Amino acid sequence: MRSFLVATLIAAWAVPALSDEPDVAVIVEQHILPRYELLSMEASELSATAATDCAPDNANLITAYHEAFDAWVGVSHLRFGPSEQEDRAFALAFWPDPRGSTPKALNALIRAEDPVVLNEEDFRAISIAARGFYALEFLLFDPQFTKAEIADYHCQLVRAVATDIAHNASAILVGWKGGYGDLMVNTGNNTYRTSKEAAQQIFTALMTGLEFTSQTRLGRPLGTFDRPRPNRAEARRSERSLRHVLLSLAATRELADFISPGNEDLARAFGIALQRAESLDDPVFANVIDPRERFNIEVLQQNIDAIRAILAEDVGPLIGITAGFNSLDGD
Amino acid sequence: MATRRSFIAGMLATGVVAKPTWANAGSPDYLSAARTSDGRFVLCGLRIDGSIAFQLPLPARGHAAAAHPKYPEAVAFARRPGTYAVVLDCTNGRLKARLEAPTGRHFYGHGTYSKDGDLLFTSENEFEAARGRVGVWDVRKDYARVGEFSSGGIGPHDVKLKPDGQTLVVANGGIETHPATGRTKLNLPTMRSNLSFLQLDGALIERVELGAQHQRNSIRHLAVSGEGVVAFAMQWQGDIGENLPLLGTYRRDTGSTELFEEASVRKMQGYLGSIAIGARANQVAVTSPRSGVVQVFGPAGLLEAPLVDVCGIAIAGHDFIVTTGEGLVRTPADGDIRYDLAWDNHLVAI
Repeated sequence: MRSFLVATLIAAWAVPALSDEPDVAVIVEQHILPRYELLSMEASELSATAATDCAPDNANLITAYHEAFDAWVGVSHLRFGPSEQEDRAFALAFWPDPRGSTPKALNALIRAEDPVVLNEEDFRAISIAARGFYALEFLLFDPQFTKAEIADYHCQLVRAVATDIAHNASAILVGWKGGYGDLMVNTGNNTYRTSKEAAQQIFTALMTGLEFTSQTRLGRPLGTFDRPRPNRAEARRSERSLRHVLLSLAATRELADFISPGNEDLARAFGIALQRAESLDDPVFANVIDPRERFNIEVLQQNIDAIRAILAEDVGPLIGITAGFNSLDGD
Repeated sequence: MATRRSFIAGMLATGVVAKPTWANAGSPDYLSAARTSDGRFVLCGLRIDGSIAFQLPLPARGHAAAAHPKYPEAVAFARRPGTYAVVLDCTNGRLKARLEAPTGRHFYGHGTYSKDGDLLFTSENEFEAARGRVGVWDVRKDYARVGEFSSGGIGPHDVKLKPDGQTLVVANGGIETHPATGRTKLNLPTMRSNLSFLQLDGALIERVELGAQHQRNSIRHLAVSGEGVVAFAMQWQGDIGENLPLLGTYRRDTGSTELFEEASVRKMQGYLGSIAIGARANQVAVTSPRSGVVQVFGPAGLLEAPLVDVCGIAIAGHDFIVTTGEGLVRTPADGDIRYDLAWDNHLVAI
């Protein structure tokens, strides 16, 4: 035991001095807070619109749904802190859903005409599969729900989901403004001991967000060449699949620019990916089944992975993220 | 009196030919996969003094390996979601067998032999149904697939044999993945990890889950002491602000679980890479390549040391031996030895 420790201490590794640490205060004030403010605003707009008219053919409700969902995708890479407390982010966005839990949970509520929809607090205790944007999408866009025989209950359920979305969006914003932002900016506390730790958290969120877009938003519909899965495209019922890729790329580009300002390689890599995505003209990735068109979606996936490689290999080391053989393996 | 010829004939008849042993492979004490500086992948035998007993080529990056308890042969698994594993003759590097995961299954990268070495058990994902399986392979029939059974949960990762030779312990990580989406975690909001104790025929003996606050704590790697104490290393899938322990031990005889607070989400960046336990369970050691830290919990309390990209760890006498992605082998008695190799996640004691 002693020999082990002695050997270890002799080889103790010193952290190199950091000069390019990102400015966390700027990121919190100019990236995180404005985006959660927008989400909270759009979500309360959605809830108010549903309260006025909850019919799936109400154009105002559909517009409010799209705007609030856009705002969510714009923060969907910021998965730490208030969004993870009380599972708020999962309650806003239960996807992917490989077992089809969302339609099952919604059907169970509807079949029973479960009165849980009448009480906000009770509703917060139900399965997260029946809550959030992806549940609302089923209720507003999937024929099995929009053609519901019990219109009254369907309406109450739409309102309950919208209210719950607004509640969660507001709670996350309150969390950020009411202390969590300060913990990241004024480090030396129990959550973030140093500014480096706060920077690492933000960097990890950026990497994870890009990985999610590549592997899940694109990877799920791509499936395999022999077995493409267009029905697994994200939010395809409201034709938002490609839109989510564009929005999340724009949001992560903004964050990457704060982390590594003026990084030309990074800007170029984001430019290539965004251009590719914009040229797709395939809102729900239906083309994954067409060998030629599918290729373009695969290339977009590689474009995003190229962004991640620049971040991991060039940017990460500057802010003290070790891009080690094992530390990045994740197994 | 038997002539020399009849003596040999008798030996052949009864099958008592001197089969090669691990001594024929240079007497390694451990196995580890590695990447060479020119980007090839190899399986190495390592000795307790840090010297290399053999270095054999692998077709792709490996994860863990399992050593046959008697003969100098080892099974090396591709990283998940790999669909094959290779069995190498460690005396000459020849391929003894190639294991192909059955249709609809992939390996998770770990496996263990039965005590007599006749069977090999592998952790697998039946991915369309999202069910964890344990595959059974018959070593005596050139590693033919002879069966499979439930792992007791979703996402089985490490699998170990208890010292009684009759009980398998499986770390069901709880995370659903599908090869079409690589390593994307598909069920984080609903995941539940467990430790499952199984008979060798697959019958479930006991399943252990931690409390609800550990819902996002994924049990991945295991070490079993000579007395059957199971130490488990976890990987946290939730917010880094929730500072839960990542290391625990479980004793089946008393049904008691002990968690080690200092091996925390914060300290170890939510991620333990490997685990080892002393023969008498009086010390447990874990590594975190993310935070670059080795922790040893022993009679003297916690000893902790920084080490860049540390991951592999195994028992070495009354101490531990560790390996890193930067090529270092840190031995208890012979100091540090650096190779032009990146040692992969696991160092497996033979």
